[in-house]
Amino acid sequence: MNGPAKQKSSFKNAVQAVKNYPVVLIFLGLLAIFSVLYSQQFLSPINLTATLRQFVTLMLFALGPSIVMVLGSMDLSFIGIWMLGSILLWLLSPIIGPVALLVIPILGVATGFIVGVIHTKGRIPSFILTLSLLITYWGLTVVLAGGYPRSIPGYGFITARLVPRVPTPFFLSIPIVLVAVFISLRTRLGVYFSAIGSNEEGARLAGIDVDKYKILAFTISGAFTGVGSVILFKHLGGSAAVEFNLNNVVRPLVAIILGGTPLVGGSGGPHRTILGVLTFAVLYRGLHLSPLRPELIDLVVGLVLIVSIILSSRGTRMRGVDVT
Amino acid sequence: MNERAGTPILNVRSVSKTFGGVVRALDDVSLEVYPNEIVGVVGENGAGKTTLMKILVGVYPPDQGEWAYRGVKVPFPKNPKEAARKGISIVYQEKGVVPSLRVHQFLFLGNEDRYVGRTGLQTDRIKAHAREILKELHVQCDVDDFMHELPLSTQKMVEIAKAILSVRVEQDDENTQSVIILDEPTAPLTIEERKELLDEISGMKENTSFIFVTHIMQEVMECMDRVVVLRDGKLVGHYDMATDQVTEEDLTRVIVGKEILEHQPGAVSATARNAGVVLEAEGLAKKGSYYDISFELHRGECLGLFGPAGSGKSELIRTLAGLDGFDRGTLSIMGKEAKNREPAHIRLSRGVGYFSGDTGNELLHDWSIAKNISILNIAKVIGKIFRIIRFNAEKRMAERIVERLRIRAPNVSTPVSALSGGSKQKVTVGKWFERSPQILLLEDPTIGIDVGSRQDIFATILDMKGRGISMILVSDDSREYSTLCDSIVLMRQGKVQEIISAERLKEVVEA
Repeated sequence: MNGPAKQKSSFKNAVQAVKNYPVVLIFLGLLAIFSVLYSQQFLSPINLTATLRQFVTLMLFALGPSIVMVLGSMDLSFIGIWMLGSILLWLLSPIIGPVALLVIPILGVATGFIVGVIHTKGRIPSFILTLSLLITYWGLTVVLAGGYPRSIPGYGFITARLVPRVPTPFFLSIPIVLVAVFISLRTRLGVYFSAIGSNEEGARLAGIDVDKYKILAFTISGAFTGVGSVILFKHLGGSAAVEFNLNNVVRPLVAIILGGTPLVGGSGGPHRTILGVLTFAVLYRGLHLSPLRPELIDLVVGLVLIVSIILSSRGTRMRGVDVT
Repeated sequence: MNERAGTPILNVRSVSKTFGGVVRALDDVSLEVYPNEIVGVVGENGAGKTTLMKILVGVYPPDQGEWAYRGVKVPFPKNPKEAARKGISIVYQEKGVVPSLRVHQFLFLGNEDRYVGRTGLQTDRIKAHAREILKELHVQCDVDDFMHELPLSTQKMVEIAKAILSVRVEQDDENTQSVIILDEPTAPLTIEERKELLDEISGMKENTSFIFVTHIMQEVMECMDRVVVLRDGKLVGHYDMATDQVTEEDLTRVIVGKEILEHQPGAVSATARNAGVVLEAEGLAKKGSYYDISFELHRGECLGLFGPAGSGKSELIRTLAGLDGFDRGTLSIMGKEAKNREPAHIRLSRGVGYFSGDTGNELLHDWSIAKNISILNIAKVIGKIFRIIRFNAEKRMAERIVERLRIRAPNVSTPVSALSGGSKQKVTVGKWFERSPQILLLEDPTIGIDVGSRQDIFATILDMKGRGISMILVSDDSREYSTLCDSIVLMRQGKVQEIISAERLKEVVEA
């Protein structure tokens, strides 16, 4: 917009950016530490590809929930949508062919809408509501699958290599993420979402139909999870899982909070989650290369979650400046 | 300047303080407090009162200045404990009370050291000491009462007792003279409680001096011995209330630094009568609150609902805003019948906006000024084709409002939480000004803010009225009615007594 002025203060801007996004420092720090400690393996093409794979997985899982978290609510149903969606795809593919892919986004949108309606009209806390829904979907998945993981043939185009060493889902996820960032930063929806998270009563008095936008937020979250799961089912092995893995639920949440979206809402969103996911992916891959045993890695992830929750709540209390 | 007998307990000279190298918050301000007096400190929000108080209790270090304690030069305190050693302590405006504690626990909170024995806290000794202090200061409560059970004015008294106690503990002297800073102590109180507290404070002068920060001119006139006026960080006035002949108007003029706005009530009412009716209540009733309420609101008219607490005026305006329901009657807005109880967004689509002076509910505190204004006016900043929020438009809109209402802020991306009370209220008024609904319901639009901000807000509201926006006002302050309203609905015990013109309000209030 104002080119010369911007250039002149670019250093100032950079300082300000780091202040607003402290996770950048953590990210660079981790990058430096791991590059020095395990220079051979960490910067190897294999590890970079693995880091990207990890990034895609976390990003697509965390995208929807990070929109909901801006409202100060919680959406844990994403793993349920992914599991149930995959098994529905397995059931329907032989019958209706590739069109069956649509079933996952439809499931996502429907789930989000229902969660939103129950959450707002029934005044039920979203955390417990989506948690119970997640368990229900898991149970349903196991029943439909007959107790075994089911391999879904076909759909190889989703993961077909386009560029060497870069997983194709990475390219596929870019437009999805951009749409989410755009919604949260540049549209009325995004503004209303964070207004509700910032002061629900104030938003109501400003003439915002709070219930409607809450339902919309959950629906959009479900939509993003649904679209993401279309990519993820193939990205994560091309089969419908029946085993519930707590890590799949926790790690995206860690990434969101690490990115700087506070649990109470009001600020943050998908653009911050990108940084959080990137940082988490680097951390995870670095730990993976270290001599730590897997259970110790889980311990570290837990500690990271605790620290980032403390930091994020501190930030909202003390700073509270950054609105986007 | 008037000389007083004796040595001042507190004497600070030429205090200056600059924030961030730019904002000069205090510029060469001096203040002395003698034994047994109440010194009022008045000024607009942002005039430097809070900064001065925070320097006095050691929250900020000053850039320069001198401090003499009983005539002896001492360094500035670095924290509240050191300040207490120099005989000064503060009672903050709000959030100073721990509601869940008993009176004696609260009084000695943080000062229990002297009462720790081998078997833990010696509660009996604490209680005995607490009882003594309460008796000495004539505080009407028992040491075993819970803080939250006490009336607000008594809570304030206990807080004052606690402040005095902290000075005594720090100096280890039971008879020491202390200087207690009271930061708008009466702000949350009703009129009756206010009087009570002021009487109590005046009665405590024999052992204690007070620095009394307030916006309420009446308090200054009634119970201050001296008053100093701050404006833009400078000391612009110093009066001895006993010898100098100052009136409320004089003080207000010095505080604001310009002429004050005069309103000619009734000037608009003649034209308003002829314009269309925008809101009509007929036989509205809500059990236990108000009965058989009928009135008409014309275009460009400001109608006041006037009555004592319990007259049903607050319930009525909340009903008009859709927040509360009614049991009987009809309410039509812009010629259409409105439903009983409607969410704010539906009322807004009918052209009815509502805000109350309670900024806690109205604003998004961690958001910027610009965002707080655009949240209500999002249609104005969204692009026509792509529905994208244009940050430039948002910024320009906010800058217009900031200039019009003279909001003191470095820029429009300043978070609202960083603003003074008056500026916060201006942001609220500003966003409604930008929105300009056909009908605006106002509840206490200038409650608890300084005279300068009041003037700016009055000017903006009158401007809106001039552009044909109709208003209904409910307030606890009769001056708001006389400045803003064209006609007044007198209410008593839930019933309309009479609808009068604004000129006649004065007679009614005096009667």
